[in-house]
Amino acid sequence: MEFLDSLILGFSTAATPTNLLFCLIGALLGTLIGVLPGIGPTATLAILLPITFFLPPLAALIMLAGIFYGAQYGGSTTAILVNLPGEASSVVTALDGYQMAKQGRAGAALAIAALGSFFAGTVSTIGLAIAGPTLAGFALSFGPAEYFSLTIFGLLCATVLASGSVIKAIGMIGIGLLLGWVGTDVNSGSERLTFGAVELFDGIEFVVIAVGLFGISEIIVNLESPESRGLIASKITRLWPTREDFRQAWPAVIRGTALGTFLGILPGGGATLSAFSAYTLEKKVSRQPQQFGRGAIQGVAGPEAANNAGAQSSFIPLLTLGIPSNAVMAMLLGAMTIHGITPGPSVMHNQPDLFWGLIASMWIGNLMLLVINLPLIGLWVKLLTVPYRLLYPAILLFCCVGVYSVSNRAFDVALAVGFGFLGYLFRKAKCEPGPLLLGFVLGPLLETNLRRAMLISQGSPSVFIERPISLALLIASAALFVLLLVPAIRKTREEAFVEEEV
Amino acid sequence: MANRSELGRKGNHPDLLAGMIFIVVGALGLWAGRDLRMGTAAMMGPGYLPLIVSGLILLIGLAVTIMGLLRSREPLGVVRLRPLLIILVAVGGFAYAAGSLGFVIAAAWLIGIGSLADPESRLREIAASIVVLTIFGILVFIVGLGVQMQLGPF
Repeated sequence: MEFLDSLILGFSTAATPTNLLFCLIGALLGTLIGVLPGIGPTATLAILLPITFFLPPLAALIMLAGIFYGAQYGGSTTAILVNLPGEASSVVTALDGYQMAKQGRAGAALAIAALGSFFAGTVSTIGLAIAGPTLAGFALSFGPAEYFSLTIFGLLCATVLASGSVIKAIGMIGIGLLLGWVGTDVNSGSERLTFGAVELFDGIEFVVIAVGLFGISEIIVNLESPESRGLIASKITRLWPTREDFRQAWPAVIRGTALGTFLGILPGGGATLSAFSAYTLEKKVSRQPQQFGRGAIQGVAGPEAANNAGAQSSFIPLLTLGIPSNAVMAMLLGAMTIHGITPGPSVMHNQPDLFWGLIASMWIGNLMLLVINLPLIGLWVKLLTVPYRLLYPAILLFCCVGVYSVSNRAFDVALAVGFGFLGYLFRKAKCEPGPLLLGFVLGPLLETNLRRAMLISQGSPSVFIERPISLALLIASAALFVLLLVPAIRKTREEAFVEEEV
Repeated sequence: MANRSELGRKGNHPDLLAGMIFIVVGALGLWAGRDLRMGTAAMMGPGYLPLIVSGLILLIGLAVTIMGLLRSREPLGVVRLRPLLIILVAVGGFAYAAGSLGFVIAAAWLIGIGSLADPESRLREIAASIVVLTIFGILVFIVGLGVQMQLGPF
């Protein structure tokens, strides 16, 4: 039973005191930032990334992952109680969750959200454990041509599934690629795109871009609009849902889990897309669609299960193929690189304790969230009363010291100021910074594989068509591109994201 | 900003800004890579992909700009200079001070000036933040995590 052995290895690695502690810290931190509006998981990961230098690699990854899925839990708490989604992925939860709270069923909504999330987390962790080795084994046979096509496919998918304009997203990827190439060219040794700055010869640090684009610019944007705080709808009286609630909720949880697990794997997918799709699906299959928006428990159960499943399964492409599917996964890739780990199929073979330990920790973390969150809800809601003006100077300090500590130089902080400003412009220009980060981390990989493939084929691009996997990926990419040009599909996509902004 | 000009009923301002950013970045990439060797497809030089991608960004910038001119009018949204400038100056000052003046001055500057970005900040709160966060920073970052930064100017 190789599968069981792997799981045992994973749990024994994840259950060491250090790893359990960082799993708990990650889950708590994640819940905290999930509860607080204005600080998202992407920004938090960016800010805390430098601090993980000081941790052992596995503990660092466990903590960062915990922050990510913890945020999904925390976001739903405030969505239900105060109609204030802490995260984008819990926007739909607020639609019916807050209505339930108004009717005095806040306890039931919170419990169903937590239980549904836990169930989804369990299923998609098992999914990751099963799909991981298969995909990784498959990916071991990949040559440079396959990797090039896979990267192209991943980047293109990310633009299609991301919200906003596709052409802008492609432009953002391009900027990311360029930034990824700054520094010394590994093949020729000549420096490029550095404008003569010696500090840039080693390239731009990932943390600098991440903190600038996601940390600093987010603070500026938050400060532009006055704080909005909802009122707590009701006292939580009865936490446990009724039998009727369970009967209505469980099919929705199962549908949400399945949908979320699937959508999470796709590049560009993840928690937010999963939650929105699950809500739409529940509304479609329901016999009383008019109930939605008025406190339908399926409208809480489905999306909550889906966002957690999506959050979990978006680890699959990163851990097995080394291709991050969204900005959060790009952050984790950054964290792995900082610790000298190259994500990809070889991780599972060379460092099985790391791979399985991380997976097992996710399940443990989900269990922790379930146990710590339900009794602590009162505390989290109190935290909402901390004003942002007291919070953001602390966040700024973390940003600055974090960037400085990467290579102990002030130049990086100055560079982060530049990226902060650029990030601000991007937000005003309605350009999502996520694709830029993906381009940045994938740029060197893309170039290396393209060079190798072309070197082997002596400059003939036919190598990408002759190898079947590569061809399939390129056809899929081309199909995606064509689909986008079909007016009907473009319209549906736009409508899907319009609903998102409500 | 340049795209603030009156364009009547047409002109999607976020798109125009995006187009401008892309054009500038693309042009900058082409200029920075002007001396790089292109090489051939089989033996790519250091400039091969950067120049192609820069050109692509430039083209996308032009396309986005044209689309922005044709689409219906959409304003840029709220732009407040106060938080923008104050935060950038606060972090920039930290960068300068961290290199020469040490952590205490850098952190006090960052928190003190940074707090001014929110008009609701009160003087007493700012003073308390400076003291608490600077001590926290010394204990956690410098002593605890061992970040290599001097405490004072000497």
